[in-house]
Amino acid sequence: MTTRAFRVWGTMAMVLALTASVSAADLCATDALERDVCLSEPARRVVSLSPGATELLFSAGAGNSVVAVSAWSDFPPQAAALPQVGDANRLDLEAIVSLAPDLVVAWTDGNSRAQLDRLADLGVPVFWLAPRTFGDIARSVESLGRLTGYTTIADREAQAFRSGIEALEARYRDVPGLRVFYQVWDQPLMTINAEELISKAIALCGGTNVFADLPRLVPRISVETVLAADPEVIVTAGRGDPGHDWLASWKAYPALAAVASGNLYRVSPSLLQRPTFRMLEGARELCAILERARARL
Amino acid sequence: MPVSDIFRPLAMLALAGLAAMLVSVSVGSADLGVGETLSVLAGGGSELHRTLILDLRLPRSFSAFATGGLLAVAGALMQVLLRNPLADPYVLGLSGGAAVGALLAMLTGAAGFLISGSAFAGAVLATLLVFGLAHGSGSWTPSRLLLTGVVVAAGWGALITLILAMSPASRLPGMLYWLMGDLSHAGHPWPGLAVLVLVCLLVFPLGRSLNVLARGSLQAAALGVSVRSLEWLIYLVASLLTATAVTLAGAVGFVGLVVPHMLRLALGNDQRLILPASALAGGTLLVLADTLARVVIAPEQLPVGVITALIGVPTFLFLLYRSR
Amino acid sequence: MTTLTTDNLIIDIPGRAPGSPLNLEVRPGQVWGVLGPNGVGKTTLLHTLAGLRAAHGGRVLLDNHALASLKRKAVSQQLGLVFQDRQDGFPATVLETALIGRHPWLSAWQMETGDDVATAERALHALDVGHLRDRLVSTLSGGERQRVAIATLMTQAPDIWLLDEPSNHLDLHHQVAVMRLLAGQAASGRSVFMCLHDLNLAARWCDHLLLLYPSGEACWGPAQQMLVPSALERLYNQTLVTVEADGAPVFVPVRS
Repeated sequence: MTTRAFRVWGTMAMVLALTASVSAADLCATDALERDVCLSEPARRVVSLSPGATELLFSAGAGNSVVAVSAWSDFPPQAAALPQVGDANRLDLEAIVSLAPDLVVAWTDGNSRAQLDRLADLGVPVFWLAPRTFGDIARSVESLGRLTGYTTIADREAQAFRSGIEALEARYRDVPGLRVFYQVWDQPLMTINAEELISKAIALCGGTNVFADLPRLVPRISVETVLAADPEVIVTAGRGDPGHDWLASWKAYPALAAVASGNLYRVSPSLLQRPTFRMLEGARELCAILERARARL
Repeated sequence: MPVSDIFRPLAMLALAGLAAMLVSVSVGSADLGVGETLSVLAGGGSELHRTLILDLRLPRSFSAFATGGLLAVAGALMQVLLRNPLADPYVLGLSGGAAVGALLAMLTGAAGFLISGSAFAGAVLATLLVFGLAHGSGSWTPSRLLLTGVVVAAGWGALITLILAMSPASRLPGMLYWLMGDLSHAGHPWPGLAVLVLVCLLVFPLGRSLNVLARGSLQAAALGVSVRSLEWLIYLVASLLTATAVTLAGAVGFVGLVVPHMLRLALGNDQRLILPASALAGGTLLVLADTLARVVIAPEQLPVGVITALIGVPTFLFLLYRSR
Repeated sequence: MTTLTTDNLIIDIPGRAPGSPLNLEVRPGQVWGVLGPNGVGKTTLLHTLAGLRAAHGGRVLLDNHALASLKRKAVSQQLGLVFQDRQDGFPATVLETALIGRHPWLSAWQMETGDDVATAERALHALDVGHLRDRLVSTLSGGERQRVAIATLMTQAPDIWLLDEPSNHLDLHHQVAVMRLLAGQAASGRSVFMCLHDLNLAARWCDHLLLLYPSGEACWGPAQQMLVPSALERLYNQTLVTVEADGAPVFVPVRS
């Protein structure tokens, strides 16, 4: 009786140890702070602390595991219905802790490191994201898939995104260059440098961001700088506000190449603003616009 | 004071202002040089250069001049009103009211005219609020006005923080630039310049009364000044000037404080000289500050308020340190 | 020249019962002194006479015109005041300070002329501060400032001179010089009405006196009738010894 009991318990313990070690190997991922985040089992209660992270979680197939999101998490639509834990840079730590999450996904460009280190001290695993390239986006989704146990979906989606980007790259590799000014905002007038993903999308489509070399990620510039750079295309997303004509003021400068050729365009505001899989669709739209612009020169 | 003592410094300041304007229209992220600038001003130059100078830089320079002049005259008037050489146009909370108006407009996604109109409305509201509260049931003294204004200004500050905290990240840059004072979207400079010139003409005959008022309200009344109505008038005029300036360029700081103060050190305290001199020197200073803001890290742009604060804070501290 | 009269005037001192009504008549050529202990309302009376404070009751009249009905500018051409406290938040030179006395006489668009400057300089010299004309007032001593203030009143040149403690901060020599100047102004047809804390200066230089008692009572009249030791002792609640010197009574407080 006792021997048998021993055997049973022993086998169970062995099996448990084995599963633990197997899943531990599967449930580790390196985050943007170069730290290995490991979970003992796939996260089932995930809190997303930025709209971008929310989108990437849903892309990884883990949408059903997300229990709360930060403000402005509006995509996919079902994310908007989830409970909120505050604005990205003003999080409600109490609300997060009381949700007892087994994974918190943070964003380096918005969340406060000091605040989330307190969360980590309380034993909540925090996974940081900072996608700066198309490759980073795909890798982020793969990591999130691994941590949430949706490896198959995540890997498949990431691969689709990669091949979509590669297809664009191949198609526009040899087209004639085009000087592009991307207007982030009109008052104050702001653009992006080469580090920004939108600028990388412009390069992907065979365009040249005229302000690629500026030192800041989102520099503020003057109208005369734009006139001197003389872009052949002006593109803006306009970020909502359908009543506002974001490009009208440029028409006052008919000598500007973009104005002379009628190359003032607005891209869908929601597609390019976050480093997520929707960038692929945004990049396709942008490439089509630049192709049209090229034809008008 | 002999008339020539008034006109000589004013002529010199006017020349300095012209020189500053010339510099400001000839430099920028696209550098043209004075020669090219003069040829454009004379009617020549390439299409691009004409656009740069005539459509972009010149109106902006005029806006800078108008804003600086308006703020400096408003500051000089506030200092006499409060009998305090360290008062500035914003001390009574007017910029706070304007900022709340402008930020609320930006929060709702408005642009252009709606923002400036809303800022102006906020400034008028702030003026009337302090006016009414300081009047109250008791007597009206500069210290009571100052205290009311400072407390109301603190209230506006809290509202501004609240609006900033509630705003989506994409709207924050525009709001912060507005709060720091920025001339890139000043719009037409002509209303501001017109107000500046009109007020200088209106205030000139009041100059000697203001000199007397600066000695205290009792002394002024004993010398035949109807103190109450003069104080109301300068409060309203200073508010109008500040509201116009804030509408043009947001809350540009320190010009209204430092310019009249420095002019008093150099030229004495005759308001008939100080007020027009403030208009010219304030305008000149802001034209130069805005030129710096445009070229310091060109082609990137700084808000002009950063430059005036960087110049103004040490100047002010120095003056304070020297003034026992 | 203007006569200042009060018609049942009761001054308004917050937190105190109204005193007895005053019916004064300050005629050209007279030098009036107001005597009374601290806090009795001497300054308030001067401000009320100048129209800078509302009275509790009664009226102030300038040549039979109610002061309240006159324009400030017209009042300031007939009546001027030297304050006990002065504000100088802004720097100003001695000459600029004296020149503001011309304010009532100039229209809005007029600048001060050479004549105005000459008037101010004469006044500064009369008060022995002419040599300080370009100094900043804030750098002067208390006595010098007091003389600049009187020079400003002299530049204003009204018919009626109200002065609040004009001998404050002045050394003995300048006290006498100022009193002599005020007496000279009265002799030329102006009237002088001043608060004094120095009983003996009043006894020496004033021809009329107004005694204000802490109880709110007041009595006034020609100096020799008012300088009754018992009345003065009651005024200051202080025993006095009277001696005669240089043709005038001198009041000395008893030591114990």
